[in-house]
Amino acid sequence: MLERLRQMLTKEFIHLFRDKRMRFSLVVPPLLQMLIFGYAATYEVKRISTAVLDFDHSQESREFLDRFRACNRFEIREIVHQQSEIPALIDHRRVVLVLQIQPGFAGLLRKGQTAPVQAVLDGTDSNTSLIAIGYINQIAARYAQDYQLEHAERLRPSLAHFAPRIQLEERPWYNPNLESRWFFVPGVIGTLLLTTVIMLTAFAVVREREIGTLEQLMVTPIRPAELIIGKTMPFMLIGLGDVFLVTMLGVLWFQVPFRGNPLVLLLGTILFLLSALGIGLLISTACTTQQQAFSITFFCVTPAIMLGGFGFPIASMPKMLQWFTYLDPLRFYLVVLRSAFLKGAGLSVLWPELLALTILGTSALIIATLRFHKTLD
Amino acid sequence: MKLRRLLAVSRKEIVQVLRDSRSLLIVLLMPLMLMTVLGYGVNLDTKHIKVWAFDREGSPASQDLLRRFQASIYFDLVRSASDYRTLTDALDDGRCQLAIIVPHDFSARLHDGRVVTIQALVDGSDSNTAQLAIGYAQGVLSGYGSAVQAEFIRASGGPAIMPALSVEARTWFNEELESKNFIVPGVAAVVMAVVGTLLTSLTIAREWERGTMEQLISTPVTALEIILGKLVPYFALGMFDTAVCAAIAVFWFEVPFRGELATLVIGSGLFMTVILGLGFWISVLTKNQLAASQIGLVAAFLPSMLLSGFTFPIEQMPLGVQTFTYLVAARYYVVILKSVFLRGTGIGALAWPALALSIYTLIIVALARRSFHKSLE
Amino acid sequence: MTANGNSVEVEELVKRFGDFTAVDRISFQSRPGEVFGLLGPNGSGKSTTIRILCGLLHPSAGRATVAGYDVVKSPELIRRNIGYMSQKFSLYGDLTVLENLRFYSGMYGVERSVVQERIGWGLEMAGLRGRESSLTRDLSGGWKQRLALGCAVLHRPPIVFLDEPTSGVDPLSRRLFWELIQRMSDDGVTIFVTTHYMDEAEYCNRLALMYRGSLVALGTPTELKLNSIEGSLLLLECDRLGDAIGRVRAIKGVRDVAVFGNALHLVVSDDADVVSAIQMALEADRIVIARLQQIRPSLEDAFVALTAGRRALPSEAIAQ
Repeated sequence: MLERLRQMLTKEFIHLFRDKRMRFSLVVPPLLQMLIFGYAATYEVKRISTAVLDFDHSQESREFLDRFRACNRFEIREIVHQQSEIPALIDHRRVVLVLQIQPGFAGLLRKGQTAPVQAVLDGTDSNTSLIAIGYINQIAARYAQDYQLEHAERLRPSLAHFAPRIQLEERPWYNPNLESRWFFVPGVIGTLLLTTVIMLTAFAVVREREIGTLEQLMVTPIRPAELIIGKTMPFMLIGLGDVFLVTMLGVLWFQVPFRGNPLVLLLGTILFLLSALGIGLLISTACTTQQQAFSITFFCVTPAIMLGGFGFPIASMPKMLQWFTYLDPLRFYLVVLRSAFLKGAGLSVLWPELLALTILGTSALIIATLRFHKTLD
Repeated sequence: MKLRRLLAVSRKEIVQVLRDSRSLLIVLLMPLMLMTVLGYGVNLDTKHIKVWAFDREGSPASQDLLRRFQASIYFDLVRSASDYRTLTDALDDGRCQLAIIVPHDFSARLHDGRVVTIQALVDGSDSNTAQLAIGYAQGVLSGYGSAVQAEFIRASGGPAIMPALSVEARTWFNEELESKNFIVPGVAAVVMAVVGTLLTSLTIAREWERGTMEQLISTPVTALEIILGKLVPYFALGMFDTAVCAAIAVFWFEVPFRGELATLVIGSGLFMTVILGLGFWISVLTKNQLAASQIGLVAAFLPSMLLSGFTFPIEQMPLGVQTFTYLVAARYYVVILKSVFLRGTGIGALAWPALALSIYTLIIVALARRSFHKSLE
Repeated sequence: MTANGNSVEVEELVKRFGDFTAVDRISFQSRPGEVFGLLGPNGSGKSTTIRILCGLLHPSAGRATVAGYDVVKSPELIRRNIGYMSQKFSLYGDLTVLENLRFYSGMYGVERSVVQERIGWGLEMAGLRGRESSLTRDLSGGWKQRLALGCAVLHRPPIVFLDEPTSGVDPLSRRLFWELIQRMSDDGVTIFVTTHYMDEAEYCNRLALMYRGSLVALGTPTELKLNSIEGSLLLLECDRLGDAIGRVRAIKGVRDVAVFGNALHLVVSDDADVVSAIQMALEADRIVIARLQQIRPSLEDAFVALTAGRRALPSEAIAQ
């Protein structure tokens, strides 16, 4: 039996590595995916293109607007003088924000009243708009507070010494500069692995069915279990290889730290791969052509990725979707990945996730094997 | 070029597509699935951030501050810790996302006018949530600070007036700043990228693998007739999917539709042709379904998802990447989509992306045709 | 047609794949209406030659013209004038019989006014009347082959190339298939066939024997049978075949020994003593002779004889 297994594995590897195109597509796409994600995926809002319109021309308005200039998140691109210029700027996407100060701004402040500030935002990118509004509010609140204090000081100089000052000292744990890359890169490893392994596994079986060689195989003394192991083992190994490659890229190129125990990551990866292989096998029993395999894989993998906590927090999703994610092995693997890279967490912390992965993995493989058995007969 | 041969190829292709019920079903369900997943799952408005408090002082003032955190819609004040270690453990295993530490001399410092520092430990492994959490925390602190300052000034007999700033934000095109309005219109681009590239990338490769291509090229049919002929059913499928996406967006998700239908149809048609051409080219080059699927993933689907401005705003990407996105056809289509849904601009203002797509179409079809050799070598 | 009326002309044709020479300087011509067979074992270069003639591969050297057009300069013109049936079955399995026929009539530009008639003819020829809506992949081997042939000739091309058209098909279907070919040939169509079945080669008007890329012999089946053997052909049935081979080969006058089923074919010189020499040698070793007589050479014998000089081993058994 071992001999037959060895032969099957050799055959699978020959299939995969002999064709130059295959070799290419096993190595290059994962690396490219990593690169694209690493560079494109960002939630940081670093540049908010802004235009300012100051009708007041007072010292207060200038000081206020200067705070935006000083804040390197706002990029003041235009200074306009007429309100009629605004629509053109936004329509042609020259700026996403226009700050407008009406005449009488300083006057209201001096009287100790509330002075309005208008902000016009391009809502087509709601994320940037939300964050921009947040920053604007912060700067405005700060300015008001300072102004209030100054104002009070002028009347009662002694107040200055005793005015309360509260500040927030943010201490980001694990990711001091809050680089979103450090958040995404470990995640990409998970999504990459899921997509690649499921697709390869499903394709491997279906390809033989499509070309007709599966029938040939089944006539030999090979047993179903051997066939299954023979079809999945190579992809377990390739999956591990890909993880290694992409991790190296993440650590060496993107300089994401790896603080955890590689063995824990290895264990988590193997358990995760069990699920991926099982799902791939299951898909292969449901289709006869490679095209179908591809479509179904894609159809299943996309929700798994989107809802798995890869880019968007699970806690913000509707309750029903959240329950659904408990079936998603990626959800747990992502936790393991991020912990392994950034938190340096060990088994004591990750055991619930590893347990979940084990349960999902073994269930997937069992179901897949049973179905596979049936289709072989 | 003979129309008759082209139609013969189209007819055959349509029959094959319709007869492959599994793939067909997937393709038709794809917009539904993606809309659901992306429309509901993708949520960039983060709420229910798990907050732990470590109140070293336990005074009415500090309790007041913590109550404000509790009252915020963004935070769920989950637990109060009594030592530092508990906090870090909770951060490690993810039970806590934000820890607020109030110093033991909180009230005293407030009273004396010395700077009070509230430490915020935030889980940086999810950098986006961390960023937002810090922002919201600062907002809470700001509010508290102003209130305390105002109270202090009044108590010290200072002027009762309180100058303040109010920010009136008006968002254009997406008034409630709902992320669904931001995400949903772009989903059509992703659906098309899937149907378009991924399925067409397999079609020519499949004929090579099965041997029917050899038979086909021994007939008088030309490369262009084969490419255009095969384009027809996938074009129809893609346009159908787009229509479904648009319908779901408007009637289910209630995304506004302010533009003209004609603009949507023309833009979609152009993009569809580009994306199909890309798929064919990949298929022609690889002649191998598995390789084609992998390359299609990286060359078409991922850029459409990540580099088109659909989820991640292009302006926030590193400059090098921004330049690269000019090559991504989906970028232009996303602009058209967002404009048609949210901005209501007519085809006139969209001349530039439409032109870009047209040029792209011509180039890609020419490339596909050039790469297709009617020979076995 | 070429100036001298040949339908196909091949001149010093060479095809190399890297270091391997698949076709090594072959030359021949065929006439319209001929059933021309390319005979040889697998790997002899038959399929490669056909593919070059169809314009699917480029020759490394030499010339070839089909229907008067050069394969390198005008492959598209050639394609309009030929029908091709590739070795691997390659109609669309997920299309019905009728759909495949319709598709290829479109591909070959069959005149609209006669499409129905041609499709009808194709169905008749393949014997698939009444099964128009069957999916092609559900047909058994023989039907598939006939359908493939039908699809290849809907446009009545003057030349048809068939690459191992009967491989994997039952003998009865093979006979029927060859009857079809015969009828087409009677209509004036040039049929170019490759095969490794020696018995089918008998049906061809002319044969080109190919072995390891070279053209070994060219002629009608009769010519080849008569002229390829120098001397006479003897059939020897006995026991202990293995020992017999060794004994017999040592005899002067025995030129070649080959195993045919459970007997031996011996090529001997026309020397009267040879027969008795053989008998004596076998008796000396107590080998019992069941039969020893002269027979007329078959094509297989011709082939063995012709490839004698090129084979690595003295007697490669040819599987039938």
